[in-house]
Amino acid sequence: MRVVIADDAVLLREGLVRLLTEQGHDVVAAVGDGPGLIAAAAELTPDVCIVDVRMPPSHTDEGLRAAVAIRTARPGAPVLVLSQYVEVSYADDLLADRRGAVGYLLKDRVAAIDEFLTSLDRVAGGGTVLDPEVVAQLLVRRRAHDPLQTLTPREREVLALMAEGRSNTAIARHLVISEGAVEKHVSNIFGKLDLPPDEELNRRVLAVLAFLRS
Amino acid sequence: MTTISAPTRDHAGDRQELGHPRLRQLGIDTRYVLVGFPLAIITFAVLLTTFVLGVSTLFIVVGLPITVGALYIARMFAFAERARIPGVLREPLVPATYKQAAPDAGPWRKMLTPMTDGQSWLDLLHGIVRFPVAIATFVIIVTWWSIAIAGVLYPLYGWSIPYGPEYRDLVDLMGYQSTTGTRTTFNVIVGAVFAVTLPFVVRGCALAEAGIARAMLTALPRLRAEMAGLTTQAHTAQRRTAAAVSAEAVALRKLERDIHDGPQQRLVRLAVDLGRAQHQLDSDPAAARATMDEALAQARETLAELRTLSRGIAPPILTDRGLAAATAALAARATAPVELDIAELDRLAPLAEQTAYFVIAEALANMAKHSGATTARVAVRQSGDTLEVTVSDNGRGGAHLAKGHGLAGLADRLHAAGGELWVSSPEGGPTKIRAEIPVSAPNGMGAPTG
Repeated sequence: MRVVIADDAVLLREGLVRLLTEQGHDVVAAVGDGPGLIAAAAELTPDVCIVDVRMPPSHTDEGLRAAVAIRTARPGAPVLVLSQYVEVSYADDLLADRRGAVGYLLKDRVAAIDEFLTSLDRVAGGGTVLDPEVVAQLLVRRRAHDPLQTLTPREREVLALMAEGRSNTAIARHLVISEGAVEKHVSNIFGKLDLPPDEELNRRVLAVLAFLRS
Repeated sequence: MTTISAPTRDHAGDRQELGHPRLRQLGIDTRYVLVGFPLAIITFAVLLTTFVLGVSTLFIVVGLPITVGALYIARMFAFAERARIPGVLREPLVPATYKQAAPDAGPWRKMLTPMTDGQSWLDLLHGIVRFPVAIATFVIIVTWWSIAIAGVLYPLYGWSIPYGPEYRDLVDLMGYQSTTGTRTTFNVIVGAVFAVTLPFVVRGCALAEAGIARAMLTALPRLRAEMAGLTTQAHTAQRRTAAAVSAEAVALRKLERDIHDGPQQRLVRLAVDLGRAQHQLDSDPAAARATMDEALAQARETLAELRTLSRGIAPPILTDRGLAAATAALAARATAPVELDIAELDRLAPLAEQTAYFVIAEALANMAKHSGATTARVAVRQSGDTLEVTVSDNGRGGAHLAKGHGLAGLADRLHAAGGELWVSSPEGGPTKIRAEIPVSAPNGMGAPTG
């Protein structure tokens, strides 16, 4: 996979380059600021960009804005955003175009290497990946007469994992239950939340997220 | 954003009054001058007599108390005059302040205090000076009113005045035949001219008289009040600086302790674990793997702690996106559902944003720790130059600003930003925390009030 990495912290940038290279990926550019990232993404059309949120020159949410800019120029261009902090409102920016192929994770998640690489693959393949912490915030954001209240604890767990962008297979493995059981939970959840059932994974994730963000 | 500015209050408009404003002012001014005339005569006569008597008997000591008495009488008249001028000048009453003898001063000293007070002598001087002014304004006003009324009403009574053949008047002198018709026209025109100019003349007279009173009777008190205001402002600024320094010192100490207890310890442990793993690698790879897992967990915990710490210093989402987004993020992390009521806000001064953010964060943290609340509500409103933050919950109450509670530090923080904190939290609840934070000029001195 051809990857562009953008992070102003040299230590982490080099760590990521080494990690991805060891795993057989091709890091075509490693940049340290927003404009550099936009230029590299336009010129090299990588399979995925890994982007840090806080970067020069503004040192605010530069990376996030660069990510949105990249996807405006090339709709659906896969971007995985990494950050020291995750906030729902930042995720909203990334999810707004409803095209998938985005990820938003805490930087710490890189340490769980296998899971990180899976997430990277999912984003590059057009999927959506959200950090569990964002999902947790989405799940408490609701008010009185919340349809989420009608879910069983197990269904809540499944919903959270769906919102993170996982497939039925991944959920089954994570909860150590059968895929059939997961399917049953999923159809229950969709019934209770009054969502149209959808077989296609990314559309299903987007539907769940749209529900949680509403 | 809506800005509500307080309606400017015109002193004269405080009371609901009927009639055309110009006519009303004419009435006020006329009354002022008319009443002023006898007042001035009495003042002049009484003050001059007592004062001259006092001064002329000074050499036999008796004069001293008489002179002081004159000053006290002058003060009485000055009080009356101060109460009379606001209606004319259309400005609020300025209360006068006089020098007071120290409570432990001797009887002589107490008695002589008015003689050392500049305002007392100004009162006396005014009592004298007002006399000629009052005579002049009184004469002018009475003349103007008389001519205006007599002239305008001439058609009603002119016919009843007997004019002999020898009668000569201004009409004749101007070369007209003095008949009833020309006399009436002439008188009505003159009356009309005086009537039209009456409000201005009366206003001028009243202003002249009241202006002198204002200069002599209220200028000094005004100056004193202004200086007192400046001193208060300086004190407030000083207190604010002290609160800021103390809040910062406390915050820095807490930060140092938090770093020491949290991430520092974990990093040490991480280094130790990695060292152990290095040793174990050759002898016992399985144990090494377990140690590495532990090390990884330590690293993750360290990151989480650092994240919490830096959120406590300067939350990135606040810097990036402002108060509304940061508050939404706080609500999302709260233990109980939080209802948000935040209107669209412009980006505010960083200090105001941070202070408001910490009020909300601290209040929600307090709620999570102590209140047992199941819902909370956060409201942020900007009205004019003030940001109002209210956090309320349905918990069991009992929160207060006493030392050692999280809210005490918050009060300091608010003072540092020039704001104010109120806590209402009776035992049994509910708790309501309200803060007012100035949005602009947080470190400068505000405009003088009043």
